[in-house]
Amino acid sequence: MRLELRNIRHVYSPGTPFEVEALRGVSLSVEPGEVLGILGGTGSGKSTLVQHMNLLLEPASGDVLVDGVDAATLKRSELRRRIGLVFQFPEAALFAPTVAEDVAFAPRRLGLNEGEIEDRVRESLVLAGADHLKDRSPFALSGGEQRRVAIAGVLAMGPEMLVLDEPTSGLDPASRQGLLRLIQTLQDTGTSVVLVSHNTDEIAEVADRICILEGGEVRAIGSPAEVFYTHPEFAPATVLTVTALDEIGWDIGQPVRFGETLRALGDLVEG
Amino acid sequence: MSAARSFGQFYPVASPLHALDPRAKILATAVLLLGLFFVDSAAGLGLVAAAVVALVAASRVPLVTFLRLLRPVAFIVVLTVLFQILFSREGETLFAWGIVEVHEGGLWLGLFLGLRIVLLVSAAALLTATTAPLALTDGLEDLLSPLKKLRFPAHEVAMMMTIALRFIPTLHEESQKITRAQAARGADFAEGGPLARVRAAIPILIPLTVGAFRRADELAEAMESRGYRGGEGRTRYRELRLRLHDVIALAATVLVLAGAALL
Repeated sequence: MRLELRNIRHVYSPGTPFEVEALRGVSLSVEPGEVLGILGGTGSGKSTLVQHMNLLLEPASGDVLVDGVDAATLKRSELRRRIGLVFQFPEAALFAPTVAEDVAFAPRRLGLNEGEIEDRVRESLVLAGADHLKDRSPFALSGGEQRRVAIAGVLAMGPEMLVLDEPTSGLDPASRQGLLRLIQTLQDTGTSVVLVSHNTDEIAEVADRICILEGGEVRAIGSPAEVFYTHPEFAPATVLTVTALDEIGWDIGQPVRFGETLRALGDLVEG
Repeated sequence: MSAARSFGQFYPVASPLHALDPRAKILATAVLLLGLFFVDSAAGLGLVAAAVVALVAASRVPLVTFLRLLRPVAFIVVLTVLFQILFSREGETLFAWGIVEVHEGGLWLGLFLGLRIVLLVSAAALLTATTAPLALTDGLEDLLSPLKKLRFPAHEVAMMMTIALRFIPTLHEESQKITRAQAARGADFAEGGPLARVRAAIPILIPLTVGAFRRADELAEAMESRGYRGGEGRTRYRELRLRLHDVIALAATVLVLAGAALL
């Protein structure tokens, strides 16, 4: 699925003294099967932007296009099934007595029969690495486990695109790694992923393209190497290291991911 | 922020009424509310009405905003007036139409009671519109503190009210977040009959309640870790001081009400 946002503007509390223009004309696309990383500081409009992707928030002006079709003309429930949105701290919305029932909420709303619901629940729990928790109460789990269950709850809709808003915040390193692996698994099965974060090292490891949001506007969008090597204030540790080496005369190209950087450094040491 | 604004009825502007000590305002409101029940003449009610109108003007709360505060009781006022007009059989018959008879006494009584309710609610609305919630609970605590001798937990009650007021906007924001998260999972809150809607609210109410308990735990821990242990010997950051104009305002209220009751 290809999602395109055209010139999206959003204003909170319009017509009051508290009026804030959160998005000032944002245009970007999410290509089929890609992982798009969205970076930006607090208040840059990241969370507002992602809620426009399945029209949970309506833009003040601008269009959302799904495979070229104006999303405003699509059925909202269908749109939200195709574009799964995982909010920041999604575990705050867990509610059912058991994990399996909570994950079954979305497929049940889709009107699937019991057999299909069961399959969906099992598949998405396995995908999120939470299969062993299915009979437990979601309120008795650790924060990281709750996060995985909440993500499974969205995966159970079978979305063609998954939007994750700060999915790793507050997680321990092992859970973070698990989440990044999940993103790669989803990409392998053809699901496009939008990953919103202010953790630049994390985004650098999985994103195919990077978008930097600042003050409600797109400051830069492009390949990780293009964006990070021209905007050092958003760059991951790998890029900063390579830039520092470049400044003292050691040119090893423009690697971004940890593995690439390690290889480039290895070549430098050997050569 | 807009959500926080629409809650509570405090209207933050600078006015002589806003500047009064909350204790003076609470007492004056109490005098007004109780005193109104002793006012039984049209002239007396007119005097109180004139005083309330003057106070609303002095509060600098825009009239439209103020009237909006009265809206919740509009139904009760209309009902009261209609009941008195239709079912009271005192005085001359003004007109009769089938079983419906309107008598002069009933008409007067209806208008009198209606105006009394409007004045009661206006007095309460003036208090909450011109007094910040925290100042209100501070004032209440001071006024209730003599009851501590009777082992009434004045400080604790005021603290509970303060906390409740503080968390209304937080819980509102939280409920909106949860609503959107469930909507992203296909929840639909607008369709179906009343029963379906109640059922649709469960995925919001449960996480909201769980979250409220978690917040309460965290708050209790934060208060304890800062050494909070109740009212005994506590000092306050904002000390309330009764000044001359507070006493004058209170005395004026008592005089107006006494006058109105005697008229």
